[in-house]
Amino acid sequence: MKKKLICGMMTAAMTAVLLAGCGNDASGTSASSGASAASDTTVSESASDVSASSETVGDSAEPVTFTVGFDAEYPPYGYMDEDTGEYTGFDLELAEAVCDLYGWQLVKTPINWDSKDMELNSGSIDCIWNGFTINGREDDYTWSDPYVDNSQVMVVSESSGINTLSDLAGKNVGVQAASAALELLQSEEEGGQKALADTFAVLQQFPDYNNAFVELQAGSIDAVAMDIGVAKYQLKTRGEGFKILDESLNSEQYAIGFKKGNTELCEKVNEGLQQLLADGTFEELAEKYEIADMVCLEAK
Amino acid sequence: MRFSLILSQLGQGMGRTVTIFLLTLIFSLPLGLLVAFGRMSKNRIISRLTKIYISIMRGTPLMLQLMVVYFGPFYLFGLNIGNWRFPAIIVGFSLNYAAYFAEIYRSGIESMPVGQYEAARLLGYSKMQTFFRIILPQVIKRILPAVTNEIITLVKDTSLAFSIAYAEMFTIAKQIAAAQTTMIPFVAAAVFYYVFNVLVAWIMERIEKKFAYYR
Repeated sequence: MKKKLICGMMTAAMTAVLLAGCGNDASGTSASSGASAASDTTVSESASDVSASSETVGDSAEPVTFTVGFDAEYPPYGYMDEDTGEYTGFDLELAEAVCDLYGWQLVKTPINWDSKDMELNSGSIDCIWNGFTINGREDDYTWSDPYVDNSQVMVVSESSGINTLSDLAGKNVGVQAASAALELLQSEEEGGQKALADTFAVLQQFPDYNNAFVELQAGSIDAVAMDIGVAKYQLKTRGEGFKILDESLNSEQYAIGFKKGNTELCEKVNEGLQQLLADGTFEELAEKYEIADMVCLEAK
Repeated sequence: MRFSLILSQLGQGMGRTVTIFLLTLIFSLPLGLLVAFGRMSKNRIISRLTKIYISIMRGTPLMLQLMVVYFGPFYLFGLNIGNWRFPAIIVGFSLNYAAYFAEIYRSGIESMPVGQYEAARLLGYSKMQTFFRIILPQVIKRILPAVTNEIITLVKDTSLAFSIAYAEMFTIAKQIAAAQTTMIPFVAAAVFYYVFNVLVAWIMERIEKKFAYYR
């Protein structure tokens, strides 16, 4: 009887494995057929699309899908929408608009910011489009035209009595891991703020801003370094109690980062941005996300 | 964000978490038995190799292993890893958990008295019969509590899937928290994990009772 039980369990397990295998296969086929159905203007075209999509993840000319890697914890540039639960934000809506121009399918892939280079180099994503700072990374990516003027600022609590950067001496300062702010505070080159960072008691790295703000509120750190757009969003949603120091750490620009050498796709997106600038979509989105005073995309 | 929406978002993430959980169990439990046999094999080479395998799987962080499994094919062989993300998670988790399960199986199998093997031989059982009819049923009984431990750990370990950008429940909780600048989603996530683990523990307890036929 026990033997039967064991036999039964094993059979069940094996069946489950088989079923799981079948399930995967089935979903795989249906997904790919779905993709070809989605782009079915003509049969021959959809066939060529499918063959293209299997190769284009890397750097060939016209990808059917356009995969954007972003940090989903980075409002207002990329985050989860309050009402729908979809990923949205200034950068993602802009990407959507570019995709609409070319008939690409936008794939929004929230990535682990620490492994963004691996995601990009391995072709898992086509670009990093998420308030991505050029400065200090000029040679590491193929960059689109810059579209937002950004600066790195310090956020402190209002009651802290900190008013200038020099007040931060001996204080605990937080910063997001692998962020532009961190790079800036560690940079010894011209314009870097290593000297300032050396006056801090501790430079504490955080995985995300939510953690950092809780620690700021709890008083375990005294200031958080971040992008001004992010700082404004945080202050707006959190209400009273925080302020941005008038002195900023630097000024820098955002652009879309493509894998080094992928100029073809980069140019295509640049052209798309120009079109969106010309027809007013770009300005409209900037207004919507309240960063109109920061955008800097220039018409060519 | 309305609370119901937070729940439905987390619910979707929970679906992914449970999928990782179930697939990992389906693949790692049998694989673990194989590894255990390898580890106890009289063939020196096989037992050495599995020993190294277990040592690496237990000795390095699962997060790192997931990254190696996912990015490895590209960095080592230049392969296109377009649709590899989800399979990579299942492969990574299964390989890792198989190593732990293998040692649990071994502890059970090696705890069986030699007398049972001798008695079985006298009664004319073949090696296969001895193992599957006499040893394994008792082993399963003995190792169930340890396996339950490991399974519950697996539920919580699923959150490591985000190291290769797979948005399971905890990741979604973090994303909602970031957009809302609140901590409420984390509380909800904790409740989700807890309820699921209570369910797992309850099922395992039922199975234990089923096997306690000598009492």
